[in-house]
Amino acid sequence: MPQRWFLLSVSLFVCAASAEAVAPPAVRSSAGAKAGGTEPLHRTIDRLVSAPKDFAQFDAGPAPDGEFLRRAYLDLTGTIPTATVARAFLKDASPTKRQFLIDGLLASPEHSRHLANVFDVMLMERRADRLVPRAAWHSYLRDAFAANKPWDELAREILASNGADPKTRPAAKFFLERGEPHLLTRDIGRLFLGMNLQCCQCHDHPRIEDYRQEHYYGIFAFIGRTTVLNAKGTGVISEKADGETTFQSVFDPAKVTKTSLPRVPGGKGLADTVVPKDKLYVVAPTAGAAGVPTYSRRARLAPEVTRADYEPFRRNIANRLWAHMLGRGLVHPLDMDYPGNQPSHAELLDALSADIAARKFDMRGFMREIGLSQTYARSSALPAGVKETDAPLYATALLKPLTPEQFGFALMQATGLTDSIRQSQGKTATEQSLYTALSPNLAPFIRAFGSPAGTPQGFDATVDQALFLANGPTLRSWLTPRAGNLTDRLLKLAGNDAVAEELYLSILTRLPDAEERKEVADFLTSRTKDRSAALQDLAWALLTSTEFRFNH
Amino acid sequence: MTNRATYACNSPAHDLSRRSFLAGTAGALGSLSFGNFLHGAAAGKLEKDQKRVLVIWLSGGVSQLETWDPKPGTNTGGPFQTIETSVPGVHICELLPHTAKQMHRMALVRGINTIEDDHGKGAVIMHTGRRQEPGMTYPHLGSVCAKMLGSDRNPLPGYIHVTPRGNGGVNAADSAFLGPRYASISLDNGQAPANITRPTELNESSDAERNALRLRASERFLKKRRTADTEAYTHSYDQAAQLMRQKDLFDVSKEPAKYADMYGKHDFGRHCLMARRLLEGGATFVKVTHSNYDTHHENFDFHIEQLGEFDQPFAALLEDLHQRGLLSSTLVVVMSEFGRTPNINRNYGRDHWSRAWSVALAGCGIKGGAVSGKTNANGTAVTDRMVHGGHLFHTYLKAVGLDPKKNFYIDQRPIPMADPKASVISEVLA
Repeated sequence: MPQRWFLLSVSLFVCAASAEAVAPPAVRSSAGAKAGGTEPLHRTIDRLVSAPKDFAQFDAGPAPDGEFLRRAYLDLTGTIPTATVARAFLKDASPTKRQFLIDGLLASPEHSRHLANVFDVMLMERRADRLVPRAAWHSYLRDAFAANKPWDELAREILASNGADPKTRPAAKFFLERGEPHLLTRDIGRLFLGMNLQCCQCHDHPRIEDYRQEHYYGIFAFIGRTTVLNAKGTGVISEKADGETTFQSVFDPAKVTKTSLPRVPGGKGLADTVVPKDKLYVVAPTAGAAGVPTYSRRARLAPEVTRADYEPFRRNIANRLWAHMLGRGLVHPLDMDYPGNQPSHAELLDALSADIAARKFDMRGFMREIGLSQTYARSSALPAGVKETDAPLYATALLKPLTPEQFGFALMQATGLTDSIRQSQGKTATEQSLYTALSPNLAPFIRAFGSPAGTPQGFDATVDQALFLANGPTLRSWLTPRAGNLTDRLLKLAGNDAVAEELYLSILTRLPDAEERKEVADFLTSRTKDRSAALQDLAWALLTSTEFRFNH
Repeated sequence: MTNRATYACNSPAHDLSRRSFLAGTAGALGSLSFGNFLHGAAAGKLEKDQKRVLVIWLSGGVSQLETWDPKPGTNTGGPFQTIETSVPGVHICELLPHTAKQMHRMALVRGINTIEDDHGKGAVIMHTGRRQEPGMTYPHLGSVCAKMLGSDRNPLPGYIHVTPRGNGGVNAADSAFLGPRYASISLDNGQAPANITRPTELNESSDAERNALRLRASERFLKKRRTADTEAYTHSYDQAAQLMRQKDLFDVSKEPAKYADMYGKHDFGRHCLMARRLLEGGATFVKVTHSNYDTHHENFDFHIEQLGEFDQPFAALLEDLHQRGLLSSTLVVVMSEFGRTPNINRNYGRDHWSRAWSVALAGCGIKGGAVSGKTNANGTAVTDRMVHGGHLFHTYLKAVGLDPKKNFYIDQRPIPMADPKASVISEVLA
């Protein structure tokens, strides 16, 4: 019983996913391991991160329980826990409660939903929906994560689907919403291989020796024969059976024209299969029909990019999943992987990359290992007298600003809107029904906090965001008392100390200290005439505080 | 009586409503007695050497033949005559009598050839100084100015767009790689930014109390961990509070009544007055949109109406800025996405035309009375000093004291502020 409490808020219909630890495939670690021994990945992580000689003096130590709970919830389910879950976790004395928490969250439907959001933003970068409805794409991703579809399989589906088959059409969104081959080349390099080859459309990269036009046009050659046919709004990829990929460098005064076969960066050029001239097409391209050639260069993209032994592919996903959990890629920025931009922990990234390939791109298992590490569990509070610039990376956990989605859902949970909706849905409540009811509320958060379409999600604190939180109707309406929400619960509590606890557990996922309790009591005592408004003001102050805004 | 004319370009942005010719717009501006020079709090806001920019965006493509480069008596000239201006030898269309009296403060660039007849792409050229490129978005002039001329201490958004029909929000795409801080904020029909007013249920003292609680809670957390991001977050509330204190800046009804007369009581007049108010209050870059100039039909009637709305407030704005000592430090640009064809089509309209058209400038760094560029007798080609959007962008930056040959840097990658293949139009620079 004690280990299952965290499932209460997560879903009413949790499948009987095992809470027991399943031993992950062991990864043979490099230097430092016993001869012939294998080391679980989470130990490899801890060993390599704490390797610097002076690490111990900067080590911030483990995060307090409340911080760990909140962090795990945000990273794995995209929202914060209820006060009930928080209370129970803090009271739980089991030494394995953190491991059970990680396992439970990974098995939850909220986790699949959250990863669907994360990968949607990562792969689509908030581009407008034109040809594939977002709901279909989102469902497709959610189902993939619920089934723990391996990344290479998911990537292959995304890179292979041409949109013609309704069953696989959602996966084609990556291609269809971009359409144009140069844009696709750039984003395939950035998002699947960790290489921003944008400059190389026109010339070899002036500063990065490893990014050259031949790399760019190697990718381009897979898709250079394609266009999006949008006859009658269908939006399907059409491919020709001919067409060479040629390029010149704008820096080359001789204007030498080169040709490229389809080729992943560092890989071999793939020769075309020769097809008799009268059999070039399965479906010839016309104004109304998408071309399907007998030999398709595009069809070779997915298998070639996603090979388990292709280092950029596995390194990219390892780096991105690490960044998701720890707040920064080992290679930073995420799409600037080249020898001149060394990872912060080169040996670690090699180990992560080898591990995820060895476990056949099982993302859930990989994230589990990260979640079990001491590195992940480290406190974000700088030890006394330590300057951030002196400390080795990950000696203190990094602050991660909440994404627009996390911020919206966390505010909904903290204000108790989520509790209120769940209460009103009663026995019919499911993860899906709650998500359907709550997700439309994300719109103003995406508008205010979302990065411009076509760019990765970043962080900026603008005055219009502050005005939205201070004076806007959204937060205000969520704080207005309504059956089951935070203000409603607080109004029903008699003592100010009980109020302080419920407030802090619901919003900040921790108990208030003595100073904070006193502050709450003093404030409420000074505002007895309008207790409801006072409670809302208290809640607002914590919801807009820095502690809430960041995942720490 | 208003009729909706739906034929202009078929795009939602070009809904057109035919408005009755406003009474009084043909009347003389009269003598402007701006006795009150800037003083007190407003003056304090203006730091020495602070530069600012005002763009009047005539949306849809104003006809250069009905404004800055008329060709009367030719097969392309249309029915209007020219008038003299306050600069001997410089003539403009008779539809701009008030503006003509301000010509000594203005410069004209008549030799523009941007080779782009599409609204969207033309707008990109005129806003960013570059042609639209796949895979690379350049920031608007407004975002560049907000960053290079503005100050982080300034609570006002750096790039403000006063528009007849906006979304009342932040347009994050405008600032490209400069980041959302320098994006434009749209003031829909000249209304204040969204959420600038404290909710009525929340009184000032409660607001102060809850912010004090927020700050104390934040400080407790920041004792353990302080980063650039946490600083930016807490600072944004300070900026919000300052902006709320200045919300009257966005309320033109606070101006003495005489200014409503001088600028005109129609929307564009009020928007110009708001622009002056914002610039005076410390705004770095203000763009005012006037719509709609996309006159594929009835070009001449529409220009009478549109320029009738434009002329008085624009002249009032220049005079007002001058009287307040702001004009010499404020660059003023009047532009569109392109001009209009010399050829008059069978609907008495002119179509999109980017091969020989004009932009008007005034204010900071601009040589009053200067004219750059010539077109041939009927306006079908540039004959002297041909320039494009890149040259204009160089010129704007140079006029406000920036070096257009400098670079921005994204992750160490240099991005020139202006098109390296272009240069300033020195003939119009002081």
